[in-house]
Amino acid sequence: MSNNGRRSFLQIATAFIGGLISLAAGIPLIGFAISPAWKKEETQWVDLGFVDNLKNSRFKKVNYAFTAQDGWVKATKKRSVYVTDLGNGEWSVFSRTCSHLGCLVRWEESENSFLCPCHGAVFDKDGAVVAGPPPKPLQKLEVKVDNGLLFVREA
Amino acid sequence: MKQFLNDRLPFDGVMAHLRKPLPKHINLLFSLGSLAMFLLLLQAATGAFLALSYTPSPDHAYNAVKYISAEVPFGKFVRGLHHWGASAMVVIVFLHLLRVVLYGSYKAPRELTWVFGVLLLLVTLGFGFTGYLLPWDEKAYWATKVGVEISGKAPILGEWVAKILRGGAEVGAVTLSRFYALHTIWLPWMAFALVGIHLFLVRYYGSSGTPNNTAEEMHSGKPFFPDQVFEDVVGMLIFFVVLACAALFAPVPLEDVADPTNADYDPRPEWYFLFLFQLLKYFQGPFEILGTFVIPTVGMLLLLFLPFLDRSERKVLWKRPIAMTVTSVCVIAIVGLTILGATAPKLETQEETQPADEVQQVTPTDTGPEDTDEEEDVFDFQLTEEEIESAKEVGEEAQ
Repeated sequence: MSNNGRRSFLQIATAFIGGLISLAAGIPLIGFAISPAWKKEETQWVDLGFVDNLKNSRFKKVNYAFTAQDGWVKATKKRSVYVTDLGNGEWSVFSRTCSHLGCLVRWEESENSFLCPCHGAVFDKDGAVVAGPPPKPLQKLEVKVDNGLLFVREA
Repeated sequence: MKQFLNDRLPFDGVMAHLRKPLPKHINLLFSLGSLAMFLLLLQAATGAFLALSYTPSPDHAYNAVKYISAEVPFGKFVRGLHHWGASAMVVIVFLHLLRVVLYGSYKAPRELTWVFGVLLLLVTLGFGFTGYLLPWDEKAYWATKVGVEISGKAPILGEWVAKILRGGAEVGAVTLSRFYALHTIWLPWMAFALVGIHLFLVRYYGSSGTPNNTAEEMHSGKPFFPDQVFEDVVGMLIFFVVLACAALFAPVPLEDVADPTNADYDPRPEWYFLFLFQLLKYFQGPFEILGTFVIPTVGMLLLLFLPFLDRSERKVLWKRPIAMTVTSVCVIAIVGLTILGATAPKLETQEETQPADEVQQVTPTDTGPEDTDEEEDVFDFQLTEEEIESAKEVGEEAQ
């Protein structure tokens, strides 16, 4: 083998070994960093209290907390919702998280609307977008009543 | 000593290189780059010392920052330097970029110098974004929540990017840990690597000079060392004195501890992201993506590839009407949106004055310690495990 041929081989072999080490180390490292992207979110039912205490509520603000796993921490998650008693055992629970960028909306009785303090979004009493940037309505949470307690499904 | 170094390192060669004359008419604006580097080093130094007393955990971060400000000797001063230094760095990097645009210094053969400079601007903004989560106060939590949601609006990969940044579905312990690692390890490594390449390119191609420099004037000015270096150091001293005064006399804000249920809080980012925050108000419904993704991304790409788009050799301001018009419009838009964002009235609703006892609080038995202060003032509706079991038994008996 000529010197040139030998040197070409060494160059290619060096690049190959370098690439191999980079891939062998890089794939697990990238996987380590981006693993939250495909982590499945767990849901759970969280109680908002006794139904009797919420009877005849109209957009009543309820702050609640529940424990959930946050990485290596068993964390207390805090949430805020608006609860409305629709009668006949029906309930409407709106998440207060604006569907635009996650700020908390406020119910404004005089305007019969939810208002967002961040970018001026306005949602009507059914959660539909009336004005502002949000592309989606306000999230209505899944609810159930069990043993006299009102539950919402939490992600 | 000099001989010792000279025998082992190309000491004389380096000094000869540094003593090469700069172009004539170099003015104060050419010190902005050195000033930006000084501020980066100051941030690295103050940040390294702040990290000695900080814990990136939602349970401890807020108290750690309070402890630094209130109890650690010189803690308030060091935190002040770091806080005001961050704002100063954004201003200086922006002005440095503006000087390069106005003087046409990005043109061939300095395209790569420009590209690495724009990457440094992005890293600087990254430092700002990851840094203000660390105190874990209201501003930290809400500005980060909104900022990460913006990244989530990107098409196809947006939600993935947001989850990767947060380390999960929402801002929490993993997010704080990730942002701390980005702020103190990843971004500094990137910054110093980029600064190294940027500086190498600056020295390799030499100063671009002013647009009016003739070919003869390009190498007949004062030497870089010690003349220009001395002027740069005086600029650094003046800046340090200003920052030290700000650290001593202007209190660094620390709001209440982060509360994800506090709807009375009007989230606002740091001033250098206000223009983006304000921009989002103007795009509604299906056009939302224009404000959250299209305009910022296209703007950044145009900035990054500016030297390859503007290939003319003209550097004098009035001979570049398109470049100057676009630059002026961008600067006016950024400054204008920042002012509009800063002066936008806060939302006032009846709810803010709603008596606390109208708000129902439901907390689990193991709610964190930060809840206890507010619970004394509100109707505390807390279900214990026993109460739930008791309710279930009542229900079963009724059936």
